[in-house]
Amino acid sequence: MRNHGNPDIRLIYADGDMKQARFQRHVIRLAILIAGLGLFVMIVRRGTAGYQGTPQALQWIEAGAGGLLPAELHFENALGKLGVLNTSGPIEMKGHPFFEPLGINPRGCITCHQPAHAMSVSVDALRERWRATKGEDPIFAAVDGSNNPKLPQALESSHSLLLNRGLFRVGLQWPPRDHHGKVVQPEFSIEVVRDPTGVNLDDTYGLKGVNPTVSVFRRPRPSANLKYVMSPDDVFNIKTGVLMATDPETGKPVSMNLMADARHLTLKQQAFGAYKDHQEGRQGALPREEIEKILAFENQVYVAQSFDRWGRSLVEAGGPIGLGPKAMAEGKVHVLANNNRDPVFRVFDAWKKPDAMPKDLSLEQREFRASVARGNDVFMFRQFWIRDAAHINSIGLGNPIKRTCATCHNTQMTGQDLAPGWVDVGTTNYPTWTEPPVFSDKAELPVFKCTCDKSAPPHPYLGRVIYTNDPGRALITGKCADIGSIVMGQFRGLAARAPYFSNGSAKNLRELVDFYDRRFDMKLSEQEKVDLVNFLSVL
Amino acid sequence: MKKALTILIVAIGLIFPDGTEATREDKPPANRRNFVACPIVRDTKTLPCWLAEYEGELYFLGLQGSSASEFYPPQLNHEVLVEGTVTNEPRICGGIPLRPVKISVITELNRACNTLLPAEDGREAPAAPARRFTDDMRKAGTETTQRDFTVPFDFDSDYLTFHTTRILSEAARIAKAVNAAKIEVLGYRATTWLSNGNRLMEAQTIAEKRAKKVGEILVGLGISASAVSVNWNPTPESCDGVTDPEKRRVTIRIMP
Repeated sequence: MRNHGNPDIRLIYADGDMKQARFQRHVIRLAILIAGLGLFVMIVRRGTAGYQGTPQALQWIEAGAGGLLPAELHFENALGKLGVLNTSGPIEMKGHPFFEPLGINPRGCITCHQPAHAMSVSVDALRERWRATKGEDPIFAAVDGSNNPKLPQALESSHSLLLNRGLFRVGLQWPPRDHHGKVVQPEFSIEVVRDPTGVNLDDTYGLKGVNPTVSVFRRPRPSANLKYVMSPDDVFNIKTGVLMATDPETGKPVSMNLMADARHLTLKQQAFGAYKDHQEGRQGALPREEIEKILAFENQVYVAQSFDRWGRSLVEAGGPIGLGPKAMAEGKVHVLANNNRDPVFRVFDAWKKPDAMPKDLSLEQREFRASVARGNDVFMFRQFWIRDAAHINSIGLGNPIKRTCATCHNTQMTGQDLAPGWVDVGTTNYPTWTEPPVFSDKAELPVFKCTCDKSAPPHPYLGRVIYTNDPGRALITGKCADIGSIVMGQFRGLAARAPYFSNGSAKNLRELVDFYDRRFDMKLSEQEKVDLVNFLSVL
Repeated sequence: MKKALTILIVAIGLIFPDGTEATREDKPPANRRNFVACPIVRDTKTLPCWLAEYEGELYFLGLQGSSASEFYPPQLNHEVLVEGTVTNEPRICGGIPLRPVKISVITELNRACNTLLPAEDGREAPAAPARRFTDDMRKAGTETTQRDFTVPFDFDSDYLTFHTTRILSEAARIAKAVNAAKIEVLGYRATTWLSNGNRLMEAQTIAEKRAKKVGEILVGLGISASAVSVNWNPTPESCDGVTDPEKRRVTIRIMP
């Protein structure tokens, strides 16, 4: 402490040992020097080795920035914090192919799979990137980060689907190609009814171009918790009654739950596909060792919400055992959990009684936790009529079936389907989609009219003429019955990566719950909706 | 009279268009109920019941189950082909139980099929049958003496259910175990004799589709393609109104 002429202090010194006072001043100066040196080293390290220290610095990682990605991170979001766990320890990002640009454009895998956003990317983050970089961030690359590569790329409106709904353009060849690249004779014809982006009617990129292409717009999926996502089911695919697709290298069955349309069967295929399409890489130019490093990273990273909105850890002794990234890393794979013995997201009993919770929790926190526990019960046990959902009702279960959310979202820890999870839940097909009318100027997504061949089995609940924003799985199989079927995604880290559904049609968790309530006439009470939203927010 | 008959024949033809033969002869045995109708689902305090009405009488078909259940329920928005035997058992969910019963969902949409009834006191569902879906079903068998397998199908369908895929797995296992020199796959197409005397014939190509699918799966399960011969009989099997569902099939014969 410095003496500013206070006589009382002088007196103290006078009464004490002046040598000791001088010694204390030296210690303080030394401490300031050491702190300054530490700060200098930190600044230098940040400049040379990249991000180090607070998660805030890692909120957005640019491809090629380098630095160390710590083993465990917690990123703030509107509903608390997201936990990210690298089970193999800290990751050096410099030179790592997941974090470096590999193709022609300056994107890396990291560009669209950000740790702060549950290894996906949120609309809020995209808007912030647009603002911070004036649209120059590589994520807005014309190839698929804009509505149409031919639009003026400097305009915000040219990227509206990405900025408003988090959607990237996915151009798929027409007629479809199967998993071996072989042309499939489709059971339906496809025509463009509405094309707000202009890309589907474009003479280069469109359906009538030299390489006929159907462009659909989809959210990027989290590249985390993949041991669950990639876990194969039986030898037979219960959805189709035929053998499951196999890994071309090992010959073993694959899960088919990785992509929205299940077009890539393995992480390796997906990595190649993303390199070629999103990073505009050259065919066959990605070395094997780089692919292996990408896969090694993806297979060790786990995400889940880790703190509540009051800053309290969701992972506490005696609390729910399925929360947080550590539980994700340690969980068993391929557990069918649509039962009351060992439910999908494990048990929330500890949060059912506010009085039994830790004493230092506020009343609001206690009520929130009780709401989460009720939300889990709604998810697991609240029955309703599941109706007209192709690949659920049409595979022998009957239409309708009186079951619960967990009937379809049945895989422990992720809430995906244990079987290949493509389902037409109605998010992309008329009349259950939530898009504006086809003729409306407010329509943002393309509308396709699919007309099925008379000899082909029809879509089980929509027949042979189907209007859709995204034919989904049918763009790969060419099957009429698959039109609008999308592989369900995992439920973890939801708070960090709004919006939801493959077409970003639910801006927040409440809109997601509202969709299901309307679609299946669940008749959820307001309290049940709030409970479900709170439950989903902690996963 | 001739005119009236012509009109009648045309009318029946309209009711049963593709693949349907509408000639009137005798009828199936009196205790059989073979008919096409809209299914009805009745809610209960436990599991929903599936019913169908024929000639003013309500029949109980089965309970909602799972994909591993023996009984695959019908689907609203689709008619159902019911092939069953009337029992003397007490009514279930208001309907006379049919046992055995085979149901097939008619592929084409029929939006008139939309009856969902609420749960009512006194119309309780019976206890659900024990699930056959156990770990044992996933384990391969141990015996290798079986040589002939029959894979049943729903009407006009080549879809393999959870149970029928197990038959193929077992056939492939034994074929490999005995190092089969040849495996004969033969697809069939059948006819259902309806209780009203009409005959409902399966699509012309269905025997071929079934046989090819089974052959491909056997190869996919590790049987040498050169050992698998795939044939089909495009001529529909004769019908008796009782065993018709059993004739919608693919047979597999293993020859060591």
